[in-house]
Amino acid sequence: MSEPQDRPATTPRIELHFDQPHRQHQPRDVLAVRYRIEGCDGEAVRALEHSVLWYTEGKGEEDLGVHFFQRITDRTAMPPAVTTGAFTTPLPQSPLSYEGFIVKVRWCVRVRIFFASGRDFVSEHVFALGRIPPARNPTTEN
Amino acid sequence: MRLPRLYAKKRGHRRTGSREWGSVGDGLFHGTLLLAGLFFGGLLVSGVAAPEWRINNDFVGTRCTILAKGLARTTLEDPPGAVSTHWRPCVRVRYSVDGVRRESWSSGSSSDNSTDRAMALESLSRWQLGSECPCWYDPAAPGMVVLERGYSWWLWLLALLLPGALVLIGGTGLVRGLRAWGKSEEHRAASPGLSELLDPLAQPALEAPDHPAVPLWDDLVNSPGTILRYRLPIESPESWTLVGFGLFALLWNAVVVVLAIGAGLDLLGGTIDWWLFALLVPFLGVGIAGIALFIRRLVFATAIGPTQLEISDHPLLPGRHYDVLLTQGGSGSFRTLEIALELEEQATFRQGTDTRTEQRVVWRQRVAGCDGVCPSPNSRFETQARVAIPADAMHSFTSAHNAVRWRLVVRGTPERWPKFSRMFPVVVLPVGAEAASAPSRLVAGREESR
Repeated sequence: MSEPQDRPATTPRIELHFDQPHRQHQPRDVLAVRYRIEGCDGEAVRALEHSVLWYTEGKGEEDLGVHFFQRITDRTAMPPAVTTGAFTTPLPQSPLSYEGFIVKVRWCVRVRIFFASGRDFVSEHVFALGRIPPARNPTTEN
Repeated sequence: MRLPRLYAKKRGHRRTGSREWGSVGDGLFHGTLLLAGLFFGGLLVSGVAAPEWRINNDFVGTRCTILAKGLARTTLEDPPGAVSTHWRPCVRVRYSVDGVRRESWSSGSSSDNSTDRAMALESLSRWQLGSECPCWYDPAAPGMVVLERGYSWWLWLLALLLPGALVLIGGTGLVRGLRAWGKSEEHRAASPGLSELLDPLAQPALEAPDHPAVPLWDDLVNSPGTILRYRLPIESPESWTLVGFGLFALLWNAVVVVLAIGAGLDLLGGTIDWWLFALLVPFLGVGIAGIALFIRRLVFATAIGPTQLEISDHPLLPGRHYDVLLTQGGSGSFRTLEIALELEEQATFRQGTDTRTEQRVVWRQRVAGCDGVCPSPNSRFETQARVAIPADAMHSFTSAHNAVRWRLVVRGTPERWPKFSRMFPVVVLPVGAEAASAPSRLVAGREESR
């Protein structure tokens, strides 16, 4: 679930919960997430970022569109003072999650922690927007 | 303080370059461009522009008598191993500075500097010995005198354009790098404005209102149909092939004409350059072949006749049905004529220093087909069909490097010509989206982030 960018002595853990089961959302739904950060007691946190975004995967260069972004720099709202958080955002109509052959569109929630030492840690949690079936073999359908 | 790592992990098992080191390299590159621009700009301003400006603004005007004249010769080894000689007209004049008589050599303007001695002598003939003419001397160094004033506009242009371009590219690159420094990719993507201005090549495609990443369909609904609501614009690969062949034939034969004129002039002058003739023969062959191919494509494009496709509504919605009308003009007959609905993925990626684009049709459905079509010269062939958009269809999608495109494709097999295909792009909206009758505004950016 969590993808650390570095492996220092203490690696944070972010446990994130979506309000919808199976991480399946529909366009215009309100996405609500709650998270808990553990394992960064010994290191000062400089900032915290919440984002909801889509990105492309596949053969092409990665494109990225940020739908929701929030940066928290208030020390009283960050670890170690506060280790839990939540945010909500209405989801857009598009782009829908898509599993194509050379183009894939994925939605995710990212929580990124910036430490005072300069390193950062990001935790990415993929969810699906819409219900588009994966692309099938490109054969003619009569 | 940790040094950034040279490599970072992206997704899967691929190792990618470190963003921090990439930023350092980018900063160094743009900083070098900026410094080079400032350095060369400074050189040009101090060496050319400032002296010329002083002559026109600070030098004091008076009258002088021409005592002697001659040519100054400068010999340079340029390039190494070869010697070039420059001639510059010089005039010795007598003039008064605050009542004190002075004599000095005055050089002509830099435009009089010539590698041709005869031309330099001709410039010198403007001044007659013993005659009087206006001159301007430097009040700070009265021995410095000139007989002509004015600006070398091309030098000023050079002083502004070349270093200016370096300063602009280097400066904007540095500002972009500094703005992005220490920011996450989400933060950078969520901060439009100046960053988009500084990186115009990375602009996202135009999006439909309220439908992020769905392409705009303005140019698909600006032509009314004769029977159905809209006539769809055509996107024919054959047209681009024709343009390509035409451009090639034009440019290649322009080169052939230049070579032929050179060979013809040689021939008229009584000399034959065999190397030029040997070069001309294969060039002429390729030029004739280029023209023949272009004419063949042109005849092919015009012989088949125009294909038009009209549709009952647009943009399209998943789960809905739409009427389409195919019309085919021309006088040729077709063994088959078919309409299909296709979904194509397109990905643009870098391979080394090249940028490549790959397309792949991932879904195709035959909409209608006709055999033995014979349009008459007086009336076009028409057929109407109904196209169904699957209820779970992916919507049209576009981003800077990736796209998912829907299109109606007309494929034909003429009796006497090769097969052809003509494409008519359409936009499919996401499931459940309300179709706007016409887009009211352009949305170039992403949604507002908080």
